[in-house]
Amino acid sequence: MATIQEYKCPCCGGAIAFDSTIQKMKCPYCDTEFDMETLAGYDSELQNDQKDDMQWQTASGGEWQDGEANGLRSYVCQSCGGEIACDENTAATSCPFCGNPVIMMGQVSGALKPDYVIPFQLDKKAAKEALKKHYEGKRLLPKVFKDENHIDEIKGIYVPFWLFDASADVKMRYKATKARTWSDSRYVYTETSYFSVSRGGNLGFEKIPVDASVKMPDDLMDSLEPFDFSKAEKFQTAYLAGYLADKYDVDAQESAKRANDRIRKSSQEAFDATVTGYATVTKENSSIQLKNRKVHYALLPVWILNTTWNGKNYLFAMNGQTGKMVGDLPLDKTAYKKWLFGLTGAIGGVLYAILCLFYLL
Amino acid sequence: MKNRLYTVFFALLLFILMAFPAFAASDMPRLVDEAGLLTSSEERELLDKLNEISERQQVDVVIVTANSLEGASAMDYADDFYDENDYGFGYERDGILFLISMEERDWYMSTSGFGITAFTDAGLEFLSEKILNDLSKGDYAQAFTTFAEMSDDYIAQAKTGKPYDEHHLPKDPFRLLFYLVAALVIGFVISLIVTGIMRSKLKSVHGQTAAGNYIKNGSMKLTTRNDLFLYRHVTRREKPKQQNTSRSGSTHRSGGSTTHRSSSGRRHGGRGGKF
Repeated sequence: MATIQEYKCPCCGGAIAFDSTIQKMKCPYCDTEFDMETLAGYDSELQNDQKDDMQWQTASGGEWQDGEANGLRSYVCQSCGGEIACDENTAATSCPFCGNPVIMMGQVSGALKPDYVIPFQLDKKAAKEALKKHYEGKRLLPKVFKDENHIDEIKGIYVPFWLFDASADVKMRYKATKARTWSDSRYVYTETSYFSVSRGGNLGFEKIPVDASVKMPDDLMDSLEPFDFSKAEKFQTAYLAGYLADKYDVDAQESAKRANDRIRKSSQEAFDATVTGYATVTKENSSIQLKNRKVHYALLPVWILNTTWNGKNYLFAMNGQTGKMVGDLPLDKTAYKKWLFGLTGAIGGVLYAILCLFYLL
Repeated sequence: MKNRLYTVFFALLLFILMAFPAFAASDMPRLVDEAGLLTSSEERELLDKLNEISERQQVDVVIVTANSLEGASAMDYADDFYDENDYGFGYERDGILFLISMEERDWYMSTSGFGITAFTDAGLEFLSEKILNDLSKGDYAQAFTTFAEMSDDYIAQAKTGKPYDEHHLPKDPFRLLFYLVAALVIGFVISLIVTGIMRSKLKSVHGQTAAGNYIKNGSMKLTTRNDLFLYRHVTRREKPKQQNTSRSGSTHRSGGSTTHRSSSGRRHGGRGGKF
């Protein structure tokens, strides 16, 4: 039902993938490297090539459509002919049989074509290193967790994000007071002056990222910020080769709510800061009008690491561009108690000794 | 012969009279419970205690309860009671007398001789603070026992050459317990903060609520800036009166004991008040 894309090495015919260390496509078989620009043209030609296969695949896809397997899609691998069953949002994956990277063209073309992509800068090894570092310096992390640590799954995913641009017209009104005190021989006087303070102006926001994938927890994705959008590239499907990718399944309208909340809070904070010289300031009214609204669709690189411990699943994510690692870790309750009471004893003891010393002198 | 006998007798008498002040001269017991505040068993117990302390320290520790001062001030009454009943060891009449009068609800501690040295003004203040509570509650036996025991301690301390005084008051054993509890509470709060920081290191997933990082540089323009004065009002409150209590004055003391002359001309120290 949909086309899939494999990048074949023009040199040896092997499946090629994006290499984050050299920021180029590289054939794992013959080590030939290709510039992304070169592939941009090659890309469109290849898409034309696939047209014929499309008819043939629709028939097999139809069966799935009627079946129980809702939300599943199947593709046929062009290298080995194996059937690739995957999530309806999957935009890039690898064939479970031959391991070749494949891209579902239907998920990233037409209306679904992303505007930007930030290519992976860091590879799997860096992600593993980062996780090890993530465990360091945390005294309350169970030792067993660190020692028995084995990563169940590690995958590089291009996560869909909506990027919101807007300029905000802000109008704020506050009630503020100033106080002055003086005294004569008998009384202390306090004079309170009340002011109505208004502030207006505008403020531009650029590329506020909001996670557009249901699968990815919002707070986990938020924690990966910031991404450096100056390094964002115009989208090319070739970047996806060798990684997983999803298409968005939260639409821009839905995501805008989260972006709006963030814009509102930051605008208010920015204008609150201009009200100075008062003893108390109370907000009375605020209105924010968004102008020049623009939404971009981008795929951002994220390494997802999965590990299970004591029957609980721990999810870590690394910013594939900056290497920022996030993910909550379990608490060693006995170690926590030991530290709490040990420190109480130690600090209390030292304090007591000092007090006793003063007492005796 | 007879003259010689007289001479010997007088010499002996003189000798005895001179030697006598080395011992307690008083015929009165060291506990005079005129107001009848103590049961007989309490009385016996307390008297034994006072006798024991006085003999051992060679300083009289006397407790007197009176129904009425009969117009005299507590200080005069206590001083005269001490002098007239010949309390005190040695030439200097070393001792302390603790008087309470039920009608006036006055108390007074009169010191004499070495008692003046041992019980400084600051020391007496501290001592009276420890027993006033029991006195006010009517727990006289307890107050007197505390007085006797603390006096013992005061005298012993003074014999080391460094009597309890300003900046050098008796150690309160409860203070140490208080310190321990306070140290542990502070320690617990600090460790709660420290372990809280250690705990927070485990958590790195936080949702973002602001977009401050995405404000375009220099894009903020303030077009309206209006600070409109509405109204003002003035409140006034009376200044707190300067407090001039004896307590705040006493903190500037340099220590030692102040003394006065009693009606018999003897030098006494002391401190008194109401309970």
